[in-house]
Amino acid sequence: MSEVEETLKRIQSHRGVQGTIVVNSEGIPIRTTLDNSTTVQYAGLIHQLAQKARSTVRELDPQNDLTFLRIRSKKNEIMCAPGNEYILLVIQTPDAS
Amino acid sequence: MADRKAELERKKARLEQMRRERQEKVRQKASPAEGGDDTKSKPQKDLRSETDDLLRNLGIPEASTVQTVVTKSPSGGEEVVHTVKTSSRSKVKLSLCKVNETSIAPREQVSYSKETQTLNAEPVDKDGSRRRPSILVYDDPQRSDDEADTDSMDQGVDSLPSGMPQVKMVDPAKTAEDLVKKEEPPVVRELTEEEKELILNDPEFNTFISKTSRIMERALAENYDILIDYSGGDGENKEDDLLAGERLKLNRTFYDERWSRHRTVTSLDWSIQHPELLVASYNVNEDAPHDPDGIALIWNNKFKKTTPEYVFHCQSALMSTCFAKFHPNLVVGGTYSGQIVLWDNRVNKRTPIQRTPLSAAAHTHPVYCVNVVGTQNAHNLISVSTDGKMCSWSLDMLSQPQDSMELQHKQSKAVAVTSFCFLSGDVNNFVVGAEDCTVYTACRHGSKAGINEAFDGHQGPITAIDAHSVPGQIDFSPYFLTSSFDWTIKLWSIKDQKYIHSFEDNSDYVYGVEWSPIHPALFASVDGNGRLDLWHLNNETEVPTASTVIDGNVALNTCRWHQSGHHISVGDDMGKIHIYDVGEHLANPKSGEWSKFVHTIQELKQHAAEREDDSNLALR
Repeated sequence: MSEVEETLKRIQSHRGVQGTIVVNSEGIPIRTTLDNSTTVQYAGLIHQLAQKARSTVRELDPQNDLTFLRIRSKKNEIMCAPGNEYILLVIQTPDAS
Repeated sequence: MADRKAELERKKARLEQMRRERQEKVRQKASPAEGGDDTKSKPQKDLRSETDDLLRNLGIPEASTVQTVVTKSPSGGEEVVHTVKTSSRSKVKLSLCKVNETSIAPREQVSYSKETQTLNAEPVDKDGSRRRPSILVYDDPQRSDDEADTDSMDQGVDSLPSGMPQVKMVDPAKTAEDLVKKEEPPVVRELTEEEKELILNDPEFNTFISKTSRIMERALAENYDILIDYSGGDGENKEDDLLAGERLKLNRTFYDERWSRHRTVTSLDWSIQHPELLVASYNVNEDAPHDPDGIALIWNNKFKKTTPEYVFHCQSALMSTCFAKFHPNLVVGGTYSGQIVLWDNRVNKRTPIQRTPLSAAAHTHPVYCVNVVGTQNAHNLISVSTDGKMCSWSLDMLSQPQDSMELQHKQSKAVAVTSFCFLSGDVNNFVVGAEDCTVYTACRHGSKAGINEAFDGHQGPITAIDAHSVPGQIDFSPYFLTSSFDWTIKLWSIKDQKYIHSFEDNSDYVYGVEWSPIHPALFASVDGNGRLDLWHLNNETEVPTASTVIDGNVALNTCRWHQSGHHISVGDDMGKIHIYDVGEHLANPKSGEWSKFVHTIQELKQHAAEREDDSNLALR
């Protein structure tokens, strides 16, 4: 199994992880562990949000760049790690232990 | 540049010369064919061809004239021939000149037959000027280009004969691209498998994954709850969201195909010595006339087995049952015929070991209430039947009652008792609910033996009654609850004739109500819709705090709290017993519940007083 697959599998098997999605720069999902409709929804929306976040960071300081985006909601947490061309999304349910 | 100018001048001179010569020839010729127009167009056409050649020599590229040269009108072609002929006759100085051949690819003519409209505002050109307005009508390219050519060479736009809209500076190919670009954002392309594979094998993708996965795993590993609130102030809302489903959760169902089918569960009781044992009494099964009418089953909640521990029969339908509190092996049952039966699980018999006689000394009416009261050493079995007779028995001897009493209200009216309950810690005073919609307080012994007071309030026969029995610093023993066929549950105090509060959330007969054994402000009720409600009076007095409906469209006939206060058993009319777990945050009382309940009761009393004042005013 390729390293990429292994890594994604490792992330997916982490405690509380609901799903993992890799999105390219256009917002098209490349790899996902969720069903199609959910994936497309997440990919489109988070991609737009990440773009907006990145442009905000850049506007405030042109030499700055977005490194990590974390959205905490009542039911779960969406973590977004943007790269130059791709974005890695992980949706996790925090366990209230 | 200088020689060019000189050349141009030379050529101009030659043009003039040629023009003059042609004019002469025209005068000479007496040809009638051509009209006035053609004379004009002839020199023009000649001029054009000549100038084209000249310009070509100079090396100036033609602007889309090549095609036009090719697609000349036939009349024009003729003229050219003529002019060529004439020019050859006039002995013009012809000199060989270098013809620089430059092949220019024809510019793409994209012709549209439809209107095109751009989506945005007018796009701005490179030089800053606005482009043509939005609607561009493309016409026949030949004609328009012809006109455009001649005009661009000689005069301005005014000399256009046709007046067609000019398309000068627009590049047709560009607009097509624009349209395609604008369509792209809303459309989300799906990548094909090959494209995906390509991306996956891309080394850049690999580095991206390895970098970001490292960050992601670090982020995933941190599992602190930044939103935790130690003050517990938000705890209420959180519980509502998270534990709404867990307030009342079905634990298991007790049902035996052979014995409990089609029988209504008439009463339930938990054992004190063995908290996992539950005795249930069942009514008659109309579908099985040969089966015994009355069945009592002892179920075990600890183990997963689905069959009862013990099966007891009796000849008449069982209306009530209870464990003999101080004898762990004895089970008491009150029947429809008026008999009280006693079973012993040490004996390997399914039929009762002791029975009360069916005589006037004992009961002759259905016995809905049996209870063992007293202490270990001095206890009695009390039974009340629907003819108002109350008997007390000794468990060793059921052949005759120790004591019997007629419960009569106002000396003559017998009370048809459907339910009764002793007040907490009291062996003497008790309350009974009757079929005539009234609640009575009564005493067993003493000067006031018998019925004392009557409480009016319900509009239907009373189905269940329960007195508060939670031990605590504050004693709530005067308060008791009643449920009735009039769809309500009422809270009373034995000190007041009027009820304190009426709970009117049900929409069917309420068949059972019981206080929680550990929580002072919590009670459960069951009704004919299959609803089990938990009321938390410190939270809310108008609606139940937790409610669940049993599936299967059944009516719940009876309910019983487990002595721990964490489970509640309900029996329905199909012979099933459902054990529900009550969420701990709801079942366990907090330390302030007692005082809070005092306030709640005071509030309720206030409301009751106001209500009464209002009704008094209304009466006046």
